[in-house]
Amino acid sequence: MTRATWRKPANGRSDIVNIVSAARRGLAILIPVAAFLALGSRVPHFLDLSNLLNVVRQSSITGICAVGMTFVIVIKGIDLSLAGLLAFCPMISGVLMLAGVDPPASMAAGMLAGIAMGLFNGLMVSRLTVPAFITTLVVGQISQGLALTINGGSSIGAFPDSFVFIGNGAIGGIPLSDLLLLAFLALGFFIERLTPLGNHIYALGGNETVLRQEGLSAARLQFFVFGFSGFCAAVSGLLLSAQLDTVQPTQGDAYQLDAIAACIIGGVDLAGGRGSVPMAVIGALIIGCLRNVLDLLGIHPFMQNVFIGSIIIVIVYLSGVIRRHGELATRGTL
Amino acid sequence: MSAPVTEVVRAGAAPGEGGAPPTRAPAAGKGRVWIAAGGLLKLVGRNVALFIFLTLVILASLFVENFAALDNAEVILKQSAIPAIAVIGMTLVLMTGGIDLSLGYVVGLASIVSGIMANTWLWPAPAVLAAILVLGLAVGLCNGLITQFMRVPAFIATLGAGYVLYGLAQIVSQGSIINRLPKGFLAIGRTPMFGLPSAVFLALAVAVVFHVLISRTIFGRQLKAFGFGARAAVLSGVPGARINVSVYALCSTLAALCGLLFTVRVNAAQPNMGGGVFTFEVVTAAIVGGTSLFGGVGSVGNSILGVLSIKIIENCINLLGVSYHLYLAVQGAIILLAIILGNLTNRRA
Repeated sequence: MTRATWRKPANGRSDIVNIVSAARRGLAILIPVAAFLALGSRVPHFLDLSNLLNVVRQSSITGICAVGMTFVIVIKGIDLSLAGLLAFCPMISGVLMLAGVDPPASMAAGMLAGIAMGLFNGLMVSRLTVPAFITTLVVGQISQGLALTINGGSSIGAFPDSFVFIGNGAIGGIPLSDLLLLAFLALGFFIERLTPLGNHIYALGGNETVLRQEGLSAARLQFFVFGFSGFCAAVSGLLLSAQLDTVQPTQGDAYQLDAIAACIIGGVDLAGGRGSVPMAVIGALIIGCLRNVLDLLGIHPFMQNVFIGSIIIVIVYLSGVIRRHGELATRGTL
Repeated sequence: MSAPVTEVVRAGAAPGEGGAPPTRAPAAGKGRVWIAAGGLLKLVGRNVALFIFLTLVILASLFVENFAALDNAEVILKQSAIPAIAVIGMTLVLMTGGIDLSLGYVVGLASIVSGIMANTWLWPAPAVLAAILVLGLAVGLCNGLITQFMRVPAFIATLGAGYVLYGLAQIVSQGSIINRLPKGFLAIGRTPMFGLPSAVFLALAVAVVFHVLISRTIFGRQLKAFGFGARAAVLSGVPGARINVSVYALCSTLAALCGLLFTVRVNAAQPNMGGGVFTFEVVTAAIVGGTSLFGGVGSVGNSILGVLSIKIIENCINLLGVSYHLYLAVQGAIILLAIILGNLTNRRA
C-alpha cells in the first residue's frame, strides 16, 4: 500500500518487490472477501440486509476513529487517548445538553474539547519529543479521570430527540451513522490523496529528511494529525452516545483496541509512511463483521478480545517480515 | 536523573553548555546568586524523586489534616508495598526503552488463578506462590520473545497481550469472584511483623535484591548500556536479546506476585484486579521516580520514592474527601509535570 504502488512501478525496483507489493494488495482485498462469503454461507442471518446495515452501524464508531488513527500511525505515532476521549467529549456535551444548552452548541463544545486534547498530544510530541504512546496514554487517562469526575462516576442519559436521532435515525433507509462514516471516509480520503497536506503527512512518516529539505515544518503536521485524531475521537464518541442515548464514563475502553486493530488489519504500517484511510475503514468493517459473527455464534466478548489481541500481534509481525523482505529485495541482496 | 553515567553522557553531548551562567558573570553579586541558584537546581535535578517526595510530605503535613500521624504513615506504607514491587519490574522494562502495558492485566490473571488454586484445588500456599511466579514468568517470556524476535514494538505487543490476558482472566473466572480464601494462603502477605503486614517486608526484600541487581552486577551495567544505545551496546558484546527478553520476564513475574499479594490483601480473587488503571499508576510512579522513557536511566530506590509520592497524593485526596475519580486525572497531570520537568533539567544539564 505504498503510494508508489498506485502508479506505475518506479524504476530500479526489482520484480520481486513489485510481486510482493502486488501480492500484498491482492491478499488485502481477497482474504476479507473470501472470509466474508465463507462466513455468510456458514453463519445464519449474517448476510441479511438488516444485519449488514447493523454491522456497518456498529462499525461506524471504530471506523471514524480509524480515519484519524491512520494519519497518526502513518507519522509513526499511535493514539492511545481514544479510550478516554470517547467518554470525555460526549460527557461534556451531555452535561451541557441536560443543562439546557441546545444540542449543536453542546456538540461543538465536545468536539472542541477533543480537538484541544489532540492538539495537546501534538504539542507534547512535537515540542517536547515525548513518545506518542506515552503522551496519548496520559492524555487518555486524564480525559478518563475527568469524564468520571464531571458526573461523579455515573452515566447520564435521556438526551433531546434531535441528538438521539443522529445515532438512530435514517435517511432513505440508510442509518445516519453509516452516512457519517462515509462522510469521514471521504474527508480522510480527500486529505490523503487530494491535498498537499496528505503528501506531507506521508513524507513525514516515510522520509523525514526529504520533508526537512523541502523546508516544511514537522511540528505543524504533528499538530494537525493529532488534532484531527482528537476530532475524530470526539465525533465517534458523540455518535456512540447518540446511538445509546447515554454517556457512560468508561464507554471508550472497548474501542481503543478495535481502532488500532482496524488500521493494522487495513495494512497501515506501524513503521510509518504506509497505509490508507479507505483500507483502515475496511479494516474497521472487518472487525465489525468479526465481532458480529462471533456474537451470532454466541461467543463471549472477552473471548473476542483474546482473538483480536492475538490478531494484532500476528499482523504486525507479518507486516514487519514483509517489509524487511521487501527492503532486502530492493537492496538486491535477495 | 541521578545516575552518574547520565551526567557524563549529557556533558559530552553538550560541551560548554552546562554551568554557562556562572562562567559568564564571575565575581559580580548577581553572579553569586546565579551560582547558588544553579547549584540548588543541580542538587534538585540530581535527586528529583527525593525532592518531589519531600515536598509532598512537607506540603501534606502542613495543609492536610490528619496526614502527619503514625497510623496514616502506616496506611501509606501498606498501600505502597504492592505497587512498589510492580514498579521495579516496570523500571527494568523502561530502562531498555520499552514499556509493558500488560502489567495490570497480569495482576488480574494472577489474582483469579491464585484464588482458584488456593480455594478450589486446595493447593498449599508455597505451591500457589511458586505456580503464580511461573505463570508470570511464562507471560513475560511471551512478551519478551514477541518484542525481541518477532520485532513487534513493545507497546503494541504488550497492549495486545494485555487484552488477551484480560480475556483469559475473565474466562477462567467465569465471571465470579472467589472469596474466603484459606488461612495458610492469606498468611503470605498478612502475617504481622513489627506491626506491619509481611507484604511490606516482602516488597522490601524484592527491592533490595533488584537494587543490587541493577547497581552492583554485570547485568545491571549491561542493562544501562543497552538502554542508552542498543546498537552500540550489542556491538560491544552486550547480549542484547537476553537482556531484552529477561526484563519483560522479570516484570511480569513481579506483576504476578503483585496479583497474588492484592488477592491476599482484599481476601478476594477477581479478574478485574489491576487492569489499565494499575498499569498507569505504576508507569506514573516510575516516571515520577526519574526513570527515563528513552531508556538507560532508572533506579529502584527512586522508583519506590515515586510510588510513595503518588500514594501520598492518593492519601491526601482521600483525606480531603475529594472525589476519588479525580485521582486518575491528577495522576495524569503529575506524569506530564514529571516529563516536562525532566525535559527541562535535561536541557539545562
